[in-house]
Amino acid sequence: MSMPSICKTLGTSVLMAGMAFGSAAAMAADGPLRGNVRVVIGSTSTGGDTYQNSSIVADALAEHLDINMKVDAVGASSAFRFLDRDARGNTLMIFHDQSYLGNLYGVQGYDDIFEKYTIGPTVAINPGNAYLVPKDSPYETLDDVIAAVGNGEEVRVAIQPGGVSEIGFSALKNAIAIEHPGMEDNLVAVNTGSQADKNQQLFDDQADMINGTVQANEQYTRLPEDDQKAMRFLWLTARQGTIEQAPEDGLGQTTREQLLQYVEPNVSVPMGNGNNFTFDKEFFFLYNKDMDQAIVDQIDQALAEIYAEGEIQETQKNSFFIPNFKPSDEAAQYLETKMSVYEDIITNIQ
Amino acid sequence: MLDILSLLDITFFLLAALGALVGIVFGAIPGMTATMAVAVCLPLTYALGLNHGLALLLGLYVGGISGGMVPAVLLNIPGTPSSITTTFDGFPMAQKGEGERALRVCVVASLVGGLISAAVLFLFAPLLAEFSIKFSYVEKFLIILLALTVIASMSRNMLVGIFSGVLGIWLSLIGTYSISDGGNGHTRLMFDFLEPYLFEGFSLLPVLIGIFGIATILLEAEEGIKGGLGGKHVKFGKGGGFSFGIFRGRLTNLVRSSFIGTFVGMLPGVGGSAASVLAYTQEKNLSRDSDEMGKGAPQGLIASESANNALTGGALIPLLSLGIPGDSTTAVLIGAFTLQGIQVGPLFIPENADTWYVMMTALVFANIVMFFLMFYAIKHIAKVVLVPKYILYPIIVMMCVVGAYAINYGIMFDVWTLLIFGVLGYLIQKVGLEVAPLIIGFILGGQAEIYFVKSLESAGSYGIFFTKSPIAVVLWGLIAASVAFSVIMSLKSRAHRRMESPQ
Repeated sequence: MSMPSICKTLGTSVLMAGMAFGSAAAMAADGPLRGNVRVVIGSTSTGGDTYQNSSIVADALAEHLDINMKVDAVGASSAFRFLDRDARGNTLMIFHDQSYLGNLYGVQGYDDIFEKYTIGPTVAINPGNAYLVPKDSPYETLDDVIAAVGNGEEVRVAIQPGGVSEIGFSALKNAIAIEHPGMEDNLVAVNTGSQADKNQQLFDDQADMINGTVQANEQYTRLPEDDQKAMRFLWLTARQGTIEQAPEDGLGQTTREQLLQYVEPNVSVPMGNGNNFTFDKEFFFLYNKDMDQAIVDQIDQALAEIYAEGEIQETQKNSFFIPNFKPSDEAAQYLETKMSVYEDIITNIQ
Repeated sequence: MLDILSLLDITFFLLAALGALVGIVFGAIPGMTATMAVAVCLPLTYALGLNHGLALLLGLYVGGISGGMVPAVLLNIPGTPSSITTTFDGFPMAQKGEGERALRVCVVASLVGGLISAAVLFLFAPLLAEFSIKFSYVEKFLIILLALTVIASMSRNMLVGIFSGVLGIWLSLIGTYSISDGGNGHTRLMFDFLEPYLFEGFSLLPVLIGIFGIATILLEAEEGIKGGLGGKHVKFGKGGGFSFGIFRGRLTNLVRSSFIGTFVGMLPGVGGSAASVLAYTQEKNLSRDSDEMGKGAPQGLIASESANNALTGGALIPLLSLGIPGDSTTAVLIGAFTLQGIQVGPLFIPENADTWYVMMTALVFANIVMFFLMFYAIKHIAKVVLVPKYILYPIIVMMCVVGAYAINYGIMFDVWTLLIFGVLGYLIQKVGLEVAPLIIGFILGGQAEIYFVKSLESAGSYGIFFTKSPIAVVLWGLIAASVAFSVIMSLKSRAHRRMESPQ
């Protein structure tokens, strides 16, 4: 290649690169959401479902909008504080049902999210919220637990108070109050912390049943019965329709068919008026109340396009999440209705 | 086997080495930790695939824990919470002009600790995981109590030391007993107007950096900052006064501390600072020349650094055998597995033999790389003490402030915490209180509370602390021996002083 050709080639490359960069910068500057965007989450763990799901969504949004987006696992109270301070839209939050359950349970640091923040779109469900017993437990089904408590037997349940872990416990207590009035106090909460602590309570015979997840506990259900660590699922709080959307292979060696044994109608937790309790742990965005409506619309539209493409659903399903996109307005209405159902349960047992 | 060898390509080793190097830098900067190094680099692993990703992350983990020794020895600032006990003897050695020697002792101890823990992990992981689940709240509380007995044994004046330790525990309880630990989430020990800031209490690292770093600078400023940190006397060149002979007669300490680090690492939630404090306690109780500890004794460094590096293998035991992270860094590692669609749990090792061998290779290789990087670079790193104080100290203050601000991703109150505890650290030394017991109380106080309350909640009576299990009885025996030793040593030293002082 001659010198002039090299110069031409280089010149053209620079020009094309410049055009590409220019158009990318123009794309990035197109919408109201610009600059660096920080997505804070209500968990301090980068190993949990909140971080994993938020990463999937933030990566997809960053690519689609051509902006820089980073997930920070700062924990609930810090995340709310960061959100309070930033009305520009450079701080967004992703959390799940604990954001309003914490308020219903009166946990300090949790305000009414429907009043204080703008509810953004829902993005996915973690269908794995579960209750487990030791493999050699006398309780074969959740009905056995309800009946035993109704007969005056004390059943200890290890939970983390004030959120997703407790709502199933509250619903079970409510069901016992309906079926065996006055006996519900025999269902005793053992307040613990992490999943490790809950498992330890079971290994140590300090709890008869624990709250867990399909993702964290499935391997324990495959251990032989004489293993001190062996567990058995008794109940998944998810709706039947949610589990039906899970991959056919399920998780680990537990198939979708097997998981369906642990949800309604096979397992029923009455909550009055002929209805059964179910609970899907759903992830959604939260925004500063004063954030520009144009940003809310931009994210709604971007996510609608991303979900229309269909790729994100595959990624979410591979990680055992159920895709569940609802735009902001729909999500706010849906979550507020959902909250009022659980508010009734919590009020009933107080 | 050939399958596994095919996974170990040049990129794998380069990533592990790069991880160790970056980890050392993170660990060496006050305020940055191994956990932060792993968390920051986690997104990079998405594109790498599981094996290459693990090589990078394990390198970061080993490097991050080891790097903490550098500021601990040279600047009296623990780079990570688990290098707290390294400051006790490291900085006095640096002040005596033996900074390079101290760092080389630390590097060798770290390598031995890391390799022993890797061997234990490889040979006994499932077995030890079975053993670790016998440690419930009661046993964990007693382990913390045993570590706390060091407060008595390392105090110059036992009463003052115990008071300082209790003050540290009190400071650690400010904030809330978090609901994520099974508590009630209510604030305590503060005024209402402080609730927005102190909801989660004082962050550990700003407190550590403030009490050690800022307070030291304030004390130096009072004296008038002139030259280097005794840099004139530092021996540079071949070994800087170091020889492997320093480990003669201290192999028991090295091996015992490595096992203590591995053991504490495998108890979820107990953490690296407890591991190094516990190893230091045992060396203090069992060493023939324990009087020297705290004044620049190599055996203190050996105990501290071998234990905190041994934590790495130990913390991986519950992670890989139970799916439960042993410390905050391995909790981030779970993220790497989850994002690659791998479940860690009791069946992880039998079902993922390739990944298991790959992890072991990365862990051993990262330790060896850490050794060569640090052992041969230490001569240059130690030259930091030759920088005049009037240049060095402003840089340290700036790094402390930036580190404190970065710890919780940009909370200004952490900078205020740094400054408050800097001034507090200065004042408590002025009024004659002891810094080391206070900080140990602060580090272990929160955990002691959780395990104590949970033990009582699960049993309903104090008797559980004595009757829970044979392990509890053994731990009480160790606690009693440790306290008795402290009292005897204190009486001996008082008698010695009385004999020496003229009438």
